Amino acid sequence: MKRSKMMEMGVGLFMLAGILGLLFLGLRVSGLSATGIGTADTFNLEANFGNVGGLKPRARVTMAGVTVGRVSSIELDTEWYDARVVLELDGRLEGQLSRDTTAAILTAGLLGEQYVGLTVGGDPETLQAGDTLHDTQSALVLEELIQQFVSNMATN
Amino acid sequence: MTETPFVVVEGLRFSRGETEIFRGLDLSIPRGKITAIMGPSGTGKTTLLKLIGGQLVPDAGRVVIDGQDVHALSRRALFRLRRRMGMLFQSGALFSDLDVYENVAFPLRVHTDLPDAMVRDVVLMKLQAVGLRNARHLKTSELSGGMARRVALARAMALDPELILYDEPFVGQDPISMGVLVQLIKHINQALGLTAVVVSHDIKETLSIADYVYVIADGKVMAHGTPASLDVDQDARVRQFVHGEPDGPVPFHYPGREYHADILATGGRR
Amino acid sequence: MTAWIQRLGQAGCNLLVSLGRAGIFLGLSAVGVPSREGWSLWLRQMHFVGVMSLAIVLVSGLFIGMVLALQGYTILVDFGAEQALGQMVALSLLRELAPVVAALLFAGRAGSALTAEIGLMKATEQLSSMEMIGVDPLRRVVAPRLWAGFVSLPLLTVGFSVVGIGGGYLVGVEWLGVFEGSYWGNMQSSVDFLDDVGNGMLKSLVFAWVVTWIAVFQGYDLVPTSEGISRATTRTVVYSSLAVLGLDFVLTALMFGDLG
Repeated sequence: MKRSKMMEMGVGLFMLAGILGLLFLGLRVSGLSATGIGTADTFNLEANFGNVGGLKPRARVTMAGVTVGRVSSIELDTEWYDARVVLELDGRLEGQLSRDTTAAILTAGLLGEQYVGLTVGGDPETLQAGDTLHDTQSALVLEELIQQFVSNMATN
Repeated sequence: MTETPFVVVEGLRFSRGETEIFRGLDLSIPRGKITAIMGPSGTGKTTLLKLIGGQLVPDAGRVVIDGQDVHALSRRALFRLRRRMGMLFQSGALFSDLDVYENVAFPLRVHTDLPDAMVRDVVLMKLQAVGLRNARHLKTSELSGGMARRVALARAMALDPELILYDEPFVGQDPISMGVLVQLIKHINQALGLTAVVVSHDIKETLSIADYVYVIADGKVMAHGTPASLDVDQDARVRQFVHGEPDGPVPFHYPGREYHADILATGGRR
Repeated sequence: MTAWIQRLGQAGCNLLVSLGRAGIFLGLSAVGVPSREGWSLWLRQMHFVGVMSLAIVLVSGLFIGMVLALQGYTILVDFGAEQALGQMVALSLLRELAPVVAALLFAGRAGSALTAEIGLMKATEQLSSMEMIGVDPLRRVVAPRLWAGFVSLPLLTVGFSVVGIGGGYLVGVEWLGVFEGSYWGNMQSSVDFLDDVGNGMLKSLVFAWVVTWIAVFQGYDLVPTSEGISRATTRTVVYSSLAVLGLDFVLTALMFGDLG
């Protein structure tokens, strides 16, 4: 009898440890609390880029280096034939960003992944959910850079 | 024997791989008697029990137990039929993770809803019958071979079956436990009036308790009758088996080249 | 030549027959209403299969996490990217190493034991006698072991990942001096719960089915002699290792293949 109680305790602890471990993987390792709870309170902005380069859905959106959201989708805008990127931002920023906020696709480090950086301007009017950012800076494409450099050399 | 037999085996054929074990075997096992099935080792006596219990499926022929064709039953019906049978395996086949008490209680626990107190009474009763009531707390690994077989017998009787199949109950037993087992089998059969099938090649012990005997060889019934009639049977093969003569129709030597010719063969081959 | 083709065909037929038998076996044992009795049998097997494997799985997880951190650091530091250490350790563990290594250890520790135990029960006629008592050994002996295996391995895999990430932290942060914030921060920004943790668990679930299935089937189907048991135990470890590694490739291609 006593042995079977011990066994039940052991199995119970084992399963509890497994569930706690899964919780740890969720909260601490994949940071579910930051984005998971945040999804309840977010708003979307759109931004059109001439070229998104290697930007992928789920990439970070930062402001002054602080993560404030993520890219939720990237698709082709058939009206202008550029890329329409939907940004999912922290709800606390709704109505706080000036209308002339700029978005740029940046690269983290030399080999790092690409992310979207936002910089606020000075316009007193603010952006609301669903608005579009017009002042954008596309991703750097190495080939274009080199082409530019070579043609500059040629004209000089 | 005007009564209908409890078990009928008709035209049973069974082969394992290339070797034919049974070639049209017919048996009928009378109700309430001890029937012995004997034969030299390797004649498939254990296989026959497994066929009767529905654990193996024959190539042809059928086994009918109390009017039910064993191999035509559904899996569920077969398990229900098996509750009316007990089988004593050669090794005892006790469950190694349970102690003696729990082994005997096992059939009761899985097939009945008896309260614990009643289970205890039945288990102690069955263990008392095999003389091991005070060994109930032992683990199965602590039992001698004879004791394990007695516990297995108590377990086989736990549900008061109508048919008990004994697979080589006397093999490898010292004279004392052999005597105990012989008495037990006879006694249980008389007390409970159940049908028993004993598969064995221990002639003396088996003949002493059997009411009817079948001798099988070469996949067929070679002879059958009461022990007394077999004892005086004139058939050379039956005589060799019943009296345990080393040479006869079943040769002592493995078949092959003549001894004389083999010795004289030159060339140093093995 | 014709004899060779015939042998090939024979081998193919044999393979098909044994696969079919194994499939029927799985169906008969895994399906069924669990009783109160079945619950306690399952609990026993959980202890035997899961809790007893915990030590070896956790210790291996710790060392693998530590080695990953050490090896990763020496490579990443060349690119000045040692901040990505947490990300590297977590992703390799969650997606790949934890499900696979835990499954391999599980096959060696629990799978072989299951095969030997069931095999021994078969060799000592315990399974036959259970059948003759009118109890289906598939339900009574095999099913609790199958379900214990299915539940245990995913839990063990979680433990492996957690301990491995902890081991990576010990080596990377405490010893090699990677900034703690970037170890966890990079990890959190790159690990997605569904894509990485979820897919890893999915792999582990598949492995759990396959390994336990192979183990109990080999035990149930073996030739009941001492040689038969030893061969079946070896086969369990070999087959389940191969199945785990092969399936891992297929699953990885299905889950992460389109990312490249």
